Amino acid sequence: MARVPMTRIRLLARWSWRDLRRRWLLVSAIALVIALGTGTYAGLLGTSAWRTQSNDASFALLHTHDLRVTLPPGNTTAEGRLAALTAGIAHARDITGTNERLVVPTQIAGPNGLLVPGEIVGTDTRPGPRVDGVAITAGRALTTADDGRPSAVVEAAFARKNRLAETTELTISGGARLNIVGHGQSPEYFIVTGAQGGTPFLSQKSYGVLFASLHTVQKAVAAPGRVNDLVLTLRPGADRAAVARELRRSLDAARPPLAATITTRGDIDAYRILYQDIKGDERLWRVVALLVLGGAALAALNLTTRIVEAQRREIGIGMALGAPTRLLAIRPLLFGAQVALLGVALGLVVGWAIGIPLRGVFVDMLPLPIWRTPLQAGVFAQAAGLGFALPFAAVAWPVWRALRVPPVEAIRVGHLAARGGGLAPLLRRIPLPGRGYRQIPLRNVLRTPRRSALTALGIAAAITTLVTTVGFLDTFGATLDRAENELLHTAPDRLNVTLDGFQPTGGDVVRAVAAMPQVGGVTPGLQLPSTARSGGHTVELIVEVIPAAASWRPTLTAGTGTGGLVLADKAAHDLGVGVGGTVNVEHPQATASGLRTVRTPMRVAGLHPNPMRMYAYLDPVSATAFGLAGHANQLTVTPAHGVDADAVRRALLAVPHVASAQTAQATTEGMRTSLEEFVGILRIAALVTLLLALLIAFNTTSIAVDERSREHATMLAYGLPVRTVLGMTTIETALIGALGTVIGVLGGYAMLRWLTATTIPDVLPEIGITAELSTTTIIQAVTLGILTVAIAPLLTTRRLRRMDIPSALRVME
Amino acid sequence: MVDTTREFRPPVDARLGAEGTRIDLDDVCRYFPVGGTVVKALDEVNLHVDEAAFVVVLGASGSGKTTLLNIIGSLDAPTSGTVRLAGVELTAASRAERTRIRRRTVSFIFQSFNLFPGLTAGENVQFGADVAGRAHPVRVAGEMLERVGLGGRVDHFAHQLSGGEQQRVAIARALATGNPILLADEPTGELDFRTGVQILELLREQAAAGKTVIVVTHNREISRVADRVIELSSGHIVADGPPVGGRAPIADLRW
Repeated sequence: MARVPMTRIRLLARWSWRDLRRRWLLVSAIALVIALGTGTYAGLLGTSAWRTQSNDASFALLHTHDLRVTLPPGNTTAEGRLAALTAGIAHARDITGTNERLVVPTQIAGPNGLLVPGEIVGTDTRPGPRVDGVAITAGRALTTADDGRPSAVVEAAFARKNRLAETTELTISGGARLNIVGHGQSPEYFIVTGAQGGTPFLSQKSYGVLFASLHTVQKAVAAPGRVNDLVLTLRPGADRAAVARELRRSLDAARPPLAATITTRGDIDAYRILYQDIKGDERLWRVVALLVLGGAALAALNLTTRIVEAQRREIGIGMALGAPTRLLAIRPLLFGAQVALLGVALGLVVGWAIGIPLRGVFVDMLPLPIWRTPLQAGVFAQAAGLGFALPFAAVAWPVWRALRVPPVEAIRVGHLAARGGGLAPLLRRIPLPGRGYRQIPLRNVLRTPRRSALTALGIAAAITTLVTTVGFLDTFGATLDRAENELLHTAPDRLNVTLDGFQPTGGDVVRAVAAMPQVGGVTPGLQLPSTARSGGHTVELIVEVIPAAASWRPTLTAGTGTGGLVLADKAAHDLGVGVGGTVNVEHPQATASGLRTVRTPMRVAGLHPNPMRMYAYLDPVSATAFGLAGHANQLTVTPAHGVDADAVRRALLAVPHVASAQTAQATTEGMRTSLEEFVGILRIAALVTLLLALLIAFNTTSIAVDERSREHATMLAYGLPVRTVLGMTTIETALIGALGTVIGVLGGYAMLRWLTATTIPDVLPEIGITAELSTTTIIQAVTLGILTVAIAPLLTTRRLRRMDIPSALRVME
Repeated sequence: MVDTTREFRPPVDARLGAEGTRIDLDDVCRYFPVGGTVVKALDEVNLHVDEAAFVVVLGASGSGKTTLLNIIGSLDAPTSGTVRLAGVELTAASRAERTRIRRRTVSFIFQSFNLFPGLTAGENVQFGADVAGRAHPVRVAGEMLERVGLGGRVDHFAHQLSGGEQQRVAIARALATGNPILLADEPTGELDFRTGVQILELLREQAAAGKTVIVVTHNREISRVADRVIELSSGHIVADGPPVGGRAPIADLRW
């Protein structure tokens, strides 16, 4: 390749710099569009690394257990007995720490009418690193001096959301009062999940956890010298499965036998969800980021195409002068490179700026003791690469097109104008009102179909991105509404009361609740965690046994409510079964020595519409496999006439063995909370998209108006008033805006449907989500697509009023 | 990249060989389909220019004269017939060869000037010299602008120049290429009489210096100063020869 002379390089550099300056507003707009795309990409995808690093640091900080030995609910054993299990096993030397605990479900009452379910964790409070330790965020840690005294630390997120003071007094079930000395966080409770307390979707605000010394808890729950839980840490590289097997053998060999379950760190809901969600969430954020990036790319393509098209005549002059193709391509490509550099620089700023609210969402939604949110150089480099390649590619295509035009065409004056009538002849067949020139807007749209299509597609790209992103919010909202409607369609004032163990349906506990003056009615029931399997598919279920006299029953979308399992439509779909089909259900079964897990084939009797697939129901006859006939671990309580739900909940606190009492609404509120992280991030993405859409719509229209400047000058020269010209331009752009909006809304809805059918089921498999677009979103899109675009010409009023008509009418230069 | 090491050349490129500036059009037709009909812009045109001269192609609007110029300059291709320029058969030439012809053999001057609005007068001329592979394009640009009387407007942009000045810059750009054939499409079409005469003087000087200058115009008066006048009507050559009454001096022109 021959050497490129410096004079030419300098000339081209000067020339493209002048191009940039001449169109600085548009160039800035394109750069900002690219920046929003790449910045969102970098911002959203950078969160995965943040979460992984923060999780690693937080779980390591508090010596999260590797293995946990838990006795069945309601069972305890003598203090020291669980710890002794570790002594005789072959891999005892692999155990680096143990902590014997008493973990008891309870109700927590406090100031300002606080009354929530929760649990109290009796643990080792001696100084030094402890397995599943507690990181103090406010107040002080428990010390040896607190052993046996009514002092406790309250879980930090719960305390923050309920605005509990560092020192306060809380009352737990049974009436024991505890002095709160500080707020803290522990690995198992970094996030609260359905497994805790048996009630799904409870948020950090409505599920409290108290940490106290083992002996304090033993006193508070009247279980002196008892424990029910052992947590262990192992040295790095230890064979966790081998230690678990040996512990199991020790448990089986114990006399009297201990029916305990052994779980690993991976079984901790908070741990599993915090790590597993990263990958799933990343997929969703990648889709959203690519969506925004795609919208930005299309917009950049659209805008740069217009710029290069405007240079086509100059490219033609270059061709006439015999300039080689590659030389002619250098100038627009240099222009693209400059826009790209500007876009990348701005993109880094946008990415950093987006990171601020994102960090806020995560810190709020996923409270960890350590949050690491450094700049993710790798993701930013990826985004910067995309940000650079995007405008370059966007310029390359129109340049390639421009260079393929025969020079005689490119050089022609008014080459951008339609050569023929486009689709305008169609109008001859449609009678239109008004004078001839009033038909110009519609004629213009049809006369230059390619230009109209480019403008409409630019607007459509923005609307599609907006509709898809905001549509996600609509979709999540509608899904929660469906769940709420299903759970509250009858007896909306009922309370779900969870007991701390299985009680006879005619026993003291049920009778005590029924006898309370605040209670209008009680229906004893069962709620058991189970796993359904069919055709290689697995779905976790919470099976509720609904007695004949229940005040609430699921709505049926197919089948009947008796004679088998009533599954959620989504669960049936995921298991690949329908009404009449059979699934294998792994469930607890009561035996003489306690609960054991068994597998029972169950017929699917019916389907219900709750989008939360975990909800499953059985009639008492079909529930015989549980072996719990005549027992209840859940009560459905209807308040007495004129008594509010809070009064009933408060009264229930005094009843022994009541673990929690929640209104039916609390469950749906919890569901909403569980989706807050998505909604929070999507709101940020939607805001960016809205900005992007406004920018694209306005710029696309501005360019279209610029391209009509000679026509406007002609109209003004013929004496049409500025307002008439503006009116016609507004009508023209509004027509194109309407077309773009229709394409954008349809495209957005199609994209939303596609994503909810392909990506969302992987990210949120527990929820049956179907695409929904709210009227508000459609109105927003229409407003943006038509109004913004129609208003854009009005901003050119000043320019139009001051137009130098002779110059505009002259053949350029 | 293009070869940029070429030194300043004599007015007629010696490398063009015996064929020099020879232009041959045989049975050239150029048809444009418009709607359901075909417009015959050029029909069976035969034209041969074998020596440096000032040639005027005369015709009314729509007679086909601009089409003829575009075909000679390889901006457009005929529907049928053959075109040979400086020994190269354009009708069989590749896109790259046609580009090379435009770069090394012909130079265009347009009615609407077609200066690059983003470049100064000096840079516009420099562009012409640079593309043609002239050494020291900045110096050449300065010399050419001096020659057309615009030495003091080197740093002015196109919109800061009058129409006549813009056309002179366009001529300077064409001259800066050093190419042996100048093709001018209505070069005085947008200019007043006095400026038009100045432009014609410049073009005549080029012919006198050994270049072939082909000027397309509808202005019959201009044909009086030509060495050869080719008259077109409805796509056909209807007259070809010296001006009636012999060549007149430019000072005698009136329009």
